[in-house]
Amino acid sequence: MGDVDRRPESAEALVRSLYAEHGRSLLAYATRLTGDRAAAEDVVQETLVRAWKHADDLTSGKGSVRGWLLTVARNIVTDRARARAVRPAEVAEIADRPPVEGDHSEAVVNSMVVLDALDQVSPEHREVLVELYYRGRSVTEAAKELGVPPGTVKSRSYYALRALRTVMGPGAEVAR
Amino acid sequence: MSEHDPSQLGAYVLGALEPDEVREVDEHLAGCAECRTELVELEEMKEFLGEVPPEAFLDGPPTDGDLLLQRTLREVRAASAPQEAPVVAAAAAPKKRTRWLAVAAAVVVLAGAVGGGVLIGRQTTDNAPVATETVPAGSKQVMVSDAGTGTTMAATVEPRAGWSWVTVTIAGLKAGAECQMFVTDKTGKTYVAGSWVVSPKAAQEGSRFGGGVLVPTDQVRSVEIKTVQGKHVVTAAV
Ligand SMILES: [Zn+2]
Repeated sequence: MGDVDRRPESAEALVRSLYAEHGRSLLAYATRLTGDRAAAEDVVQETLVRAWKHADDLTSGKGSVRGWLLTVARNIVTDRARARAVRPAEVAEIADRPPVEGDHSEAVVNSMVVLDALDQVSPEHREVLVELYYRGRSVTEAAKELGVPPGTVKSRSYYALRALRTVMGPGAEVAR
Repeated sequence: MSEHDPSQLGAYVLGALEPDEVREVDEHLAGCAECRTELVELEEMKEFLGEVPPEAFLDGPPTDGDLLLQRTLREVRAASAPQEAPVVAAAAAPKKRTRWLAVAAAVVVLAGAVGGGVLIGRQTTDNAPVATETVPAGSKQVMVSDAGTGTTMAATVEPRAGWSWVTVTIAGLKAGAECQMFVTDKTGKTYVAGSWVVSPKAAQEGSRFGGGVLVPTDQVRSVEIKTVQGKHVVTAAV
């Protein structure tokens, strides 16, 4: 995408556009992970600041910007939970928060890979997977939502999964 | 459906069929090996989808988050005010590039030991000679051989948005071996980029695997394969 503009106005423009496009997704995700809206807002703020500091990485490569942002948000939550965990008094509090237990670096990285792959399949394929899998809709509900016959939803979801497999790497073995 | 119709299997795997449709597919699966095989592959894809949080598909700004935006902008302004904004470099223009293996075949010279293995060849895509397939500009490719473990690995590191997609092809692995891929950055921090089991076919034809790491491509120092038991297999310095 070429040079990143260094002027302060463009820094502000970058943050504004990331916020307008990804803010809701980021804040909802951080809120689920932290269980606390105020903590989640801090996480989103730090994520956007990091995005601005890595603007070049983020805009020059191809790939899912949202995947990058969600991964960074998750890392921030995990790092903060760890930092608190070193203080014994707060260990009990941490144990109540399963989403940030343990090391999720592998799963987190795969989420970027999958989002990237979803960006590469056709919009029709992506949308049917989002409806059926991520929104938990039935074929009947998705058909109504998308305005196509149920039979089309069925065959599209099948070909969408096949397309995803092709994008993830022909012949590549699948991570466990 | 008792008739053979694999296109039902997508919605089946995703749990989107009605209960009576599920029963029909179950009945068909019991008698159709082809569909059962297909089902395994589709289930793998469903597992992949499970890596992404459902919040990833929300769009737009948060509702009533204007204070959050203002706070973030203040922090960015304060940080950028007196000094230059962060490190930025011009992105290389995309060019046609070669896929490693095509080049590797032409490299005959063994060029010295690297990371416990013998370096067979190395290239960045900025000065690639022969082009057959295209890999993204800024990719790095390296091929190494490890005499100790009898394996040869071709590794490609491709740039993504602030992270890297690493693919390896390894010859000399045994069927059933459980492998893990580790990527180390220039600060010495190591990331797991996934794990896999070597199939009998892959043991014969070469095992291909891909994984992502949150490390920009120019910061990747090495790619190491170990068994999940922790035994070294092969390392490529990038
Ligand atoms: Zn069948």
